[in-house]
Amino acid sequence: MDTLNNLLAGFQTAMLPVTLMYCFIGVFLGTLIGVLPGIGSLAAISLLLPVTYYIEPTPAIIMLAGVYYGAQYGGSTASILLNLPGSASSAITCLDGHPMAQQGRAGAALFMTAAASFFGSMIGLALLVAFAPAIAELGLELGSAEYFALMALGLVAASTLGSGALAKGLAMVLLGLLLGVVGTDVSTGVQRFTFGFNGLAEGLSIVALAMGVFGIAEVISAVNRPREGQLRDDKIRLRSMVPSRDDVRRSWMPMARGSGIGSFFGALPGTGSAIAAFIAYAVEKKVAREPARFGKGAVEGITAPESANNAAAQTAFVPTLTLGIPGDAVMALMLGALILHGITPGPLLMVEQPELFWGLIASFVIGNLMLLVLNIPLIGLWVSVLRIPYSVLYPAIIVFICLGVYSVNNSSFDILQVALIGALGYAFAVLSFEPAPLLLGFILGPLMEEHFRRAMMLARGDVTTFVDRPLSAIILGVTVAVLAWAVCRRTAAVLKRREALRPAG
Amino acid sequence: MTDKNYRDLLGGLLVAAIGLFAALYGQRYEFGSLQQMGPGFFPILLGIGLLLLGGAIAAPAWRRQGKAKPIRVEWRTGGLVLGSVVVFALALQTLGLVIATVAAVLLASLADRSLRWPGRLKLAAGVTLLTVLIFVTGLGMIVPLWWHF
Repeated sequence: MDTLNNLLAGFQTAMLPVTLMYCFIGVFLGTLIGVLPGIGSLAAISLLLPVTYYIEPTPAIIMLAGVYYGAQYGGSTASILLNLPGSASSAITCLDGHPMAQQGRAGAALFMTAAASFFGSMIGLALLVAFAPAIAELGLELGSAEYFALMALGLVAASTLGSGALAKGLAMVLLGLLLGVVGTDVSTGVQRFTFGFNGLAEGLSIVALAMGVFGIAEVISAVNRPREGQLRDDKIRLRSMVPSRDDVRRSWMPMARGSGIGSFFGALPGTGSAIAAFIAYAVEKKVAREPARFGKGAVEGITAPESANNAAAQTAFVPTLTLGIPGDAVMALMLGALILHGITPGPLLMVEQPELFWGLIASFVIGNLMLLVLNIPLIGLWVSVLRIPYSVLYPAIIVFICLGVYSVNNSSFDILQVALIGALGYAFAVLSFEPAPLLLGFILGPLMEEHFRRAMMLARGDVTTFVDRPLSAIILGVTVAVLAWAVCRRTAAVLKRREALRPAG
Repeated sequence: MTDKNYRDLLGGLLVAAIGLFAALYGQRYEFGSLQQMGPGFFPILLGIGLLLLGGAIAAPAWRRQGKAKPIRVEWRTGGLVLGSVVVFALALQTLGLVIATVAAVLLASLADRSLRWPGRLKLAAGVTLLTVLIFVTGLGMIVPLWWHF
């Protein structure tokens, strides 16, 4: 009953005209940048982060969240029409979505992805509502040692479960933690790594870091990237979007399985919607009666991953809002946005800021309904957006980035930070390091250091406290297991490669 | 298969260098003890970790022989984009938002060779108009539009 009352109160918050407007702006921009290849939701959210200074925290976070799950809807549009993923989590949708478009069934594919996205979101949301209060309650029992262990787990998972090399991912995490050290030390007041710049006393600006790594570095790599893929000229009409009865019949089970898989992986630290979509596709292919249909326009190949990545986008909020531990870089930015507004997410968030928490939950329902309208009747709008050339977009992106960063502290020094971080980010991108773990480490760094210090102080400098406390020991055990599994997987891959090379050499 | 040779070598060295720097520079802050950690404890620990990881990235790449995919760096694009950010930063408070935006857009647009000068000028005008409308008119941001001496 409590939950129901809270939800009703949440809807009251979310239905305020101002909140509705920011929710709409969020999902609209989310779809827009999801559709456009070359700008991800990370870049868009970092771009909007400074704007949130000008509005209340609740509508601000509702807008940012809207960008995130809106991008999950939009991403599939480019995948289907251009065979070019608009965002990482819809890359897998290319495999069967584009063949459907080539068979003249683009309309049906777009309709089914929107429907599957909505389905997945609602399942993920239901699980979020069901589990969040319990997890928050559990969070109250946790001490500093447990928090430290949980953050370690999140960081290790984020850097090892990605596609890149293990050591490189871990290096980016540590680098992020190190960048988080810059500024005034909370416990002693000593200024660290500021090199005499007053502008660094409060630490590197999170906005500058996010924009440098995901904005500027991304623009540099994208400007002259060859653009393939031709947009077919046929118009998508509403009538062509009606899926066949067969499409619908085939999709129920994949959508249910996809939502389950997505919800699970979304809530885990370190695994995001991209991994969820990938696993959902792999599972469908395995359980399918005719696996040969996959890759040739099987509708299950788009509905399963699309419901999975949307479900994951919802459940990803569970650890962020209940424990204050973000699972991926986007969630880290959300956390950053809350901290900028003076709100510390954690187990008490639901009790202290019920309006924010339940308002956000209610806005997910409203935002997803808006997205359904935006992505089915208004699909023509997004198809025409796909025709905007990147050469027109990126100069505007650069100016928006600069002004956005400037607006945080009215400081030109912060814009120069962006240039420096952008150069560093580009260098790491060229050397194929993944940037997302860096941001996660940066956000968690100060929290982790504080909990580490506190845990050690309470245990009088005895490191065994981390394994003496049962919960912390279990979490650290899982962390070690994840790490060991990643090492094994990589070693196995290397051995296999050697095996394959031997007869040839 | 062995296409990551120089990338990993260079990347590993870069990571190790950053780690070494952090560990050395961190010496100037009090290290403290496990029970009472000083401000230097965490950064030095991280620096050592980075140094080791950098080695772990670079060492296998050094031993591994094979044809390496060349590292492609977009020097020109990178220079122009970063330059446009720096120009914007320097011009904003001195010459005002309008000139800073026009200059940044023109400089950045040089990176894409498919644009011609009339297109660049139109683009600069459009972006400037949009910027002023969104940030100054819409969000009420306080920033000088023009220079003031």
